[in-house]
Amino acid sequence: MDVSNILADHAEKIKPTEVETENPLDVDAGFLTVTDPNLIDVESYESSLETHLFSLARTGTQALLNSLFSLPTTSSPDGPLAQLPAPTTQLPRTKPLPKIKPLTKWEQFAKAKGIQGKSKEKREKKVWDEERQEWINRWGKDAKNKQVEEQWITEVPMNADIDFDPRKAARDERKARVTKNQKQHEANAARAQKTGSSASNPEREAHKKDLERTLAMSRTSTASMGKFDRKLEGEKKMKGIKRKVRFVFPSFYPEPKFNGYPRTV
Amino acid sequence: MLRTVKPKNARSKRAMEARQPKEVEDARIAIFVKGTKTGEVLNGVMKDMMALKRPDAISFSKKNVIHPLDAQNTASGSSSMSSLEFWSSKNDASMFVIGQTSKKRPNDLTFVRMFDGKVLDIVEAGVENYVSMESVPGSKSTPGHKPLMHFASELFDTHPRFIQLKSMLMSLFNGEAVESIYLKGLEHVISVSLAPTPATLNTTTESTTPLPKVHIRTYTTRLLASGSRIPRVELTPMGPSMDLVLRRHINPDPELLKQAMRRPKLKKTDVEKGLGKKRKNLDVDEMGDLRGRVHVGKQDLSRLQTRKMKGLKAGAFEDGGDDGAGDSGSDDDEASNKKRKLS
Repeated sequence: MDVSNILADHAEKIKPTEVETENPLDVDAGFLTVTDPNLIDVESYESSLETHLFSLARTGTQALLNSLFSLPTTSSPDGPLAQLPAPTTQLPRTKPLPKIKPLTKWEQFAKAKGIQGKSKEKREKKVWDEERQEWINRWGKDAKNKQVEEQWITEVPMNADIDFDPRKAARDERKARVTKNQKQHEANAARAQKTGSSASNPEREAHKKDLERTLAMSRTSTASMGKFDRKLEGEKKMKGIKRKVRFVFPSFYPEPKFNGYPRTV
Repeated sequence: MLRTVKPKNARSKRAMEARQPKEVEDARIAIFVKGTKTGEVLNGVMKDMMALKRPDAISFSKKNVIHPLDAQNTASGSSSMSSLEFWSSKNDASMFVIGQTSKKRPNDLTFVRMFDGKVLDIVEAGVENYVSMESVPGSKSTPGHKPLMHFASELFDTHPRFIQLKSMLMSLFNGEAVESIYLKGLEHVISVSLAPTPATLNTTTESTTPLPKVHIRTYTTRLLASGSRIPRVELTPMGPSMDLVLRRHINPDPELLKQAMRRPKLKKTDVEKGLGKKRKNLDVDEMGDLRGRVHVGKQDLSRLQTRKMKGLKAGAFEDGGDDGAGDSGSDDDEASNKKRKLS
């Protein structure tokens, strides 16, 4: 049985996907864009414009799709998704980069100690109530943090005062937590404002730099370049100041070269 | 300039937060503005461009007195700029396409790009040989699908005017960086090619040689089986198609452009993934799997255990005479040496 005819038919039906151009096309897969750096052929441009543009576009698109279809893929409910690389073309942004939020005092502490708690976003608004077997608010209406003060009967400790009100005690405790948190929030906001303002005050920064330079000059203007001066308490060590190497007269005889073996006497 | 308002409810707070600067930005929202007079051609061009840009397109269908390319010291020029800035802040839009026709500049299309609520750069072009989307039979692309873009000419890499045009068109249609894409959803391609480069065209300075024409064509794609993973693509004209002749332009202010080109710092995880650096020894095979090559270092063969023979033992000759009893019983050389030291 001769299958060469069938194979030839099949090969005829299937057209090639390779792209042959003089210079390789510049594909930016991240922006789904291809740029053809080849010179425009004057002859084909003038003979028939539309066919010329069509063939250019087809070649370019094929080159782009070749690179897109060879990207690694991940599966999704709709079908395979191609993972695009970061774009290589630099386009101007729409808005400036977002400002970095200064860390709160707790965040600073947690970072220094390496504590990884749940972030604010991850903390859920609802908590599970074992007794009622349902999700209830963490705060707000009928919330978990008001359960003690809102329940209709509360146990009172034996040694409590006569005028002890368990509902009021629970409420006061909660209110104290709220005010403490508010105070911390305000302090954090004030600190953020402070750090932001000092960096954005160029006059102050320039003055600070000038002062530092004057201090450095005065410290190094003694005979020992500050080495044997009396140090003040908490004085910082100077950076980037080196003693100049003393000039040594070259000796008449060249120094013996070290040949790697112990010298024999 | 809008007042800075404190949001009164959660919904408006969310809406305001959505407009805050982001590290990875969304697609630019474009406003299509009609000037004092727009002909039939420009109306069609703007309508079709909106169809390509949808859903990030806003139409200003009423007439507006706007001449952003007039000198800034004239009344019309400065008021145009402030209008653009106002519309931009009101609509959270960062691109404008302005259509206006006059005797001096027939069928004039102006692309304006904004940064941080200020005008960054402007490109003006005249439209010729316009063919509308409606007049071309066949299927059209789905709104919201990202187009492929194709630029053909070496001038897009060398000539400042065409570099600007390419950047502008990419910002308009394709300026959104996405992480992944559904390959079957790539339905259409916008092809931008130039007429042959005139021999006298100087790429560095503004010369008197007219710039080559820009041909914009749009096609829908058909992916055919090719026997491999990569399909063969065939194109069908979709419309709109038009030719552009570049006219006036405004280059971006270098200081503003510098701010606009700032990139976020690469995250540590991204650097580990290989972003920002060239990824060595990684490639994707025909099945789409990522293949890597690993260098395992030189193997130390000196300690390889080969066949054990009594005659090849290191201590066999030295210990043979004087301490025969201790040596012959032990398998290990080190053990026998230890024993000898002890005795």
